[in-house]
Amino acid sequence: MSYSPPAVNPETREANPYRPDVAADPLAFYEQLRTRCPVANMEGVPSGTHIISRYEDVKFALRHPEIFSSDVVAVDIGQDRPLIPLQIDPPDHAKYRRLMDPQLGPKEVAYLEESTRALVNEIIDGFIGRGSCDFHAELSVPFPCTVFLQLTGLPLDDLDQFLTWKDNIIRPDVPFGDAEAAQQVRYSTGRAMYEYFEGVIEDRLSNPGDDVISRFVHGDIEGRTLTREEIADVLYLFILGGLDTVTSTLDCSIAYLAQHPSHRRALVEDPSLVPAAVEELLRLHTPVMQVMRVVKQEHEMHGVRMMPGDHVIVMLGAADTDPDEFGETADDLHLGRETNRHFAFGGGPHRCLGSHLARLELRVALEELHRRIPDYAIAEGAELSYSPGIREIASLPLVFEPGPTLAGAAS
Amino acid sequence: MRIRFDASACVGHGRCYALAPEVYDADDLGHCLVRFDVVPPELEDQARVGAHNCPEAALTVEP
Repeated sequence: MSYSPPAVNPETREANPYRPDVAADPLAFYEQLRTRCPVANMEGVPSGTHIISRYEDVKFALRHPEIFSSDVVAVDIGQDRPLIPLQIDPPDHAKYRRLMDPQLGPKEVAYLEESTRALVNEIIDGFIGRGSCDFHAELSVPFPCTVFLQLTGLPLDDLDQFLTWKDNIIRPDVPFGDAEAAQQVRYSTGRAMYEYFEGVIEDRLSNPGDDVISRFVHGDIEGRTLTREEIADVLYLFILGGLDTVTSTLDCSIAYLAQHPSHRRALVEDPSLVPAAVEELLRLHTPVMQVMRVVKQEHEMHGVRMMPGDHVIVMLGAADTDPDEFGETADDLHLGRETNRHFAFGGGPHRCLGSHLARLELRVALEELHRRIPDYAIAEGAELSYSPGIREIASLPLVFEPGPTLAGAAS
Repeated sequence: MRIRFDASACVGHGRCYALAPEVYDADDLGHCLVRFDVVPPELEDQARVGAHNCPEAALTVEP
């Protein structure tokens, strides 16, 4: 193996969560951060970009937006204005969430269970007879993306375009560490997205449908409708949140279950364990490894002074595997865990808006996959490549006993 | 058993009503609604599980 400097250096207090080897197996990195460097500096950044990792510290940061703000300065991903609602702090934040949360709340999402289950079965039908698949390309990507397009009424024909955009922003294809090139890709992608959204908003204004975008376009916040700019700021975030994170969670979860057959067998034998498994897989893998904040008020943590304007990388994945909160089994999947207060969907006022939909998709996918393909393994010789930041696996080749299609069985 | 609910801390994770639907319900925003002032004895275990899994510690149970 080629030499690479350690991802955490306790002497210089530098750390880098974005090294590819960290994304593949972040547990040791998280442990080093928590125990040796609870407030680290981002490697290669002169100063003022802190990494926090202990459960109690992460919890504090998430719950105190007046100190650790999520505003537009926290992360620059090619946007012209704050993303809504992520980059609006309380109190304004609440007025957007009052409009948006019911559209993606537990009751609204429950109506989608049947169609979501049918969709995942149709997707499994596409490869079950073959005895092999690239789980990432054939299920993890198309499944949540199709649900998202159905919900938003955006055209399936444009999906490849959306996927290119969100990848350009989340994992731009530039040499490792070339921040300037990455920002250029993000900016030009941002321009293309805003231009596309103008057409969508125009369409929904004149031809409202039953989709979520139409409901935002015609919805009411404090006695007015959202401006076109505000809707574009919502859609920007939707493309990133709706098309990436469940894909990453499915990739991480199925790769793990393929490598841990006893847990997989437990789910096959007792499908009522699936909801607990979803929570544990979310916790253990925390596919969105971090969220970004910017310091608004001077604050001291573990003897490190954080100044207004400093950036903070809030390492959700490290918090979610902290033995001080999760005990000795923090680094293991424990289906019987009684207390699981993980932050895989963040926490505090900016809790992921899509968490209820994500949980439904994950549960339904795990239920149907293990019902129809109880035994699977990673194809021999396959090397899994995890992307940093949000842990997608580029390709996840699986092999299994071929099975019948449901469509075939019905005809 | 009584349940103390801090509505200002609830952000709608929804763990309480997912794990203990007979004790907790969701409002339209997905925030918690507590069904009882005093929890019936047969639901005390559920009430406890739901409260202990709140990532925001918005729920506490008092014997």
